[in-house]
Amino acid sequence: MAQDIREKAYDVIVVGSGATGGWAAKRLSEAGLKVALVEAGRAVSAREFTEHMPSFLLKYRNHSPEVMRTRPIQRQCYACMEYNYEWFVNDLENPYSTPPNKPFSWQRLRILGGRSLVWGRQSYRLSDVDFKGASRDGYDMDWPISYADLSPYYDIVERYIGVSGARENNTMLPDGQFLPPMKMSCGEIRLRETIKQKFGRTLTIGRAAILTAPHNGRAPCHYCGPCERGCMTYSYFSSPFTTVKDALKTGNCTLVTDAIVSHVDMDGNKARGVTYIHRTTRESRQVRGRAVVLCAQALESTRILLNSSTREYPRGVGNSSGLLGRYLMDHVVGGGASGTFEDLKVLPSANPPHRPNGIYVVRFRNTPDTGKHPHFIRGYGFQGDSLPEFDPGAPGIGRDYKKAVKLGRYMVSLGGFGESLANFDNFCEIDPNLKDAWGIPALRISMVHGKNEASLMRDAGVTAAEMLEAAGAKNIRLTTGTEMPGMAVHEVGTARMGEDPKKSVLNPFCQSHDVSNLLMTDGSCFVSSACQNPTLTMMAITVRACDHLVERFRRREV
Amino acid sequence: MPPPVPEPPNRIVPCPPLINRRDLLRAAFLAGTVKGFGPAFSFAQSISAGLTPAAHGEDGSKYLTDPKWKAVFLSDHQNQTLIALSDVIIPDTETPGAKRALVNRFLDLLLSVEPAHVQAQFVDDLAFIDSESQSQLGKNFLDLNVDDQIWLLSAWAYPGQSSTWTEEARPNPGQGHFDRLKALIAGAYYGSEIGQRELGWDGEFTHGPYEGCDHQPETHS
Repeated sequence: MAQDIREKAYDVIVVGSGATGGWAAKRLSEAGLKVALVEAGRAVSAREFTEHMPSFLLKYRNHSPEVMRTRPIQRQCYACMEYNYEWFVNDLENPYSTPPNKPFSWQRLRILGGRSLVWGRQSYRLSDVDFKGASRDGYDMDWPISYADLSPYYDIVERYIGVSGARENNTMLPDGQFLPPMKMSCGEIRLRETIKQKFGRTLTIGRAAILTAPHNGRAPCHYCGPCERGCMTYSYFSSPFTTVKDALKTGNCTLVTDAIVSHVDMDGNKARGVTYIHRTTRESRQVRGRAVVLCAQALESTRILLNSSTREYPRGVGNSSGLLGRYLMDHVVGGGASGTFEDLKVLPSANPPHRPNGIYVVRFRNTPDTGKHPHFIRGYGFQGDSLPEFDPGAPGIGRDYKKAVKLGRYMVSLGGFGESLANFDNFCEIDPNLKDAWGIPALRISMVHGKNEASLMRDAGVTAAEMLEAAGAKNIRLTTGTEMPGMAVHEVGTARMGEDPKKSVLNPFCQSHDVSNLLMTDGSCFVSSACQNPTLTMMAITVRACDHLVERFRRREV
Repeated sequence: MPPPVPEPPNRIVPCPPLINRRDLLRAAFLAGTVKGFGPAFSFAQSISAGLTPAAHGEDGSKYLTDPKWKAVFLSDHQNQTLIALSDVIIPDTETPGAKRALVNRFLDLLLSVEPAHVQAQFVDDLAFIDSESQSQLGKNFLDLNVDDQIWLLSAWAYPGQSSTWTEEARPNPGQGHFDRLKALIAGAYYGSEIGQRELGWDGEFTHGPYEGCDHQPETHS
């Protein structure tokens, strides 16, 4: 790794090394371009993975006061634990503000690979019902790209990262290039058969970026369970051990860690590089490049541009439309149901294979087949599982209680992930009175889920309960509320793509309308959130945008 | 980034303020050593600053077995009462119970770092047991023989019983106090190595691959 990068001018500077940054570095460096991959966090090593460390060796068994003190927001994320909290930002050093009564949970990492180290790995394609949703229901605007534009890039990404899944031939959830699917439990098969027969709905095994067969030099999953603590066999996709590794192997990519980018440096209407603050020395440094690709995550990339105001761009670079930061979205969650299958007599085991994946119910509201729902637009999908579990909540004391715990119960649950509508009034901006520990102005995030999102979750609770009941579940409990924004950790929008520079920030290739050598290929470019987990789409969009950028380099347009 | 198979909120049973038992158990079951996937995790490794104690390989459980252990939150009476209570709820049988799993020591550690209102709730819950013990049997819980301890707790151990033959089922007075204490004790017990062994854990980390259901198709509906 070259340490003194200041004297060198790169072809492309990629900011962020997560799912999209890794792909940008790989794609561009493999095309022969000289790339600087700039990451705010430190390097990561497989030697610090803890997926095989039992929790009783943790002093506080995952209730560490240090996590509570330094990560009060990050610990809202299921993956931030006593095992790995140092991967997540220290909330005391990385503040942001929200208006009163508008809480937002911003969960983020500062480490090579970013959130790809701890992501949930669920990988679903969007369909044209999503890309062209506005044409169907009249709300907001369509994406400027269609499924046909992105499909070849989904193929490229899936073939590389390895996605296990089953083909379902469902127009709402296009099939992809799958490795063999993981298996379902008895309860899951019962639920699948029941809801297909009684409701015509599709339940499939989760499509997950976890290998079920050897793939691209990586071993298949060994079913230990907690992927978010790392994987010694690299069986789930994370960028440091795949895309970033490939990029560095080309000899064309220079990795710069501990580099917190504060802003994009401009020369008139061209980006000429970025300025970063070294994470430990706090020294300010610059990197020069002919193009800049922001992959720092939607809110962070937007923050960088808003902090890059110049005389030409007083509201932030690339913000002539005034829309930079607007249309922030995050999937709405909170609705769902759980129950027990009392007639499935399967004892829980303390030694099961831990399948790091669940089931997925494909969106069935407002589809071409089901027609328009009277109370809301768009829809939701369900994630969940059905497995026998021990029951420490069993009644009793003494010997009988110990026995009852081991008898367990056969649980089944479904949790909804609903579309978050693009709304101009959900936004982020720079808080003029708040800076992070490196002196970089921080964000103010203002977002609430609206009436449509609330209706989606109410419906999700009801439909989940009716499906569980139809499958014979007992003790059904449902929830119909909405969690605060941010809790799905699927934040997208803030720099939407479009054909019209007055109505969008980026063009269909994620290139800034205002600054032709500036791209944003993370979730910021999304026009709508759909209801599917977004990372696969972000990666496909990144590959498409980078291939286009390579062409522009070849045509000497950059 | 999505949660893997997210826990729908509805699925999280009401849990005590200190410990989410489900999380404790989930994490606890994912334990053991890997065979056939290269070298096992080395607890001697040290990489660089910025790592968690876990990533450094530190064994945090040693705190509980330190011969010089002293309670940092509980008074001596509270500590002894908690030991007695946990021993009745999860006694030694063919397998070790809560007392040998040092449940009291772990809960003392947890309580020491909890907010004041959580600490106060626990103290109140524990005091309720003594109060009822005094009221019904004229002695502190700690001073009762085991049969009387079981007799006292049984009223809360099976919630939802009818108070009389003709009344609708309703919670016994003080049910919440007992439920919170039991949940804490159970969480601490099943989160310990002894608790995991009680459930049958074999000490290994991997038991894959997952083979799923082997019933015939169409037999589940």
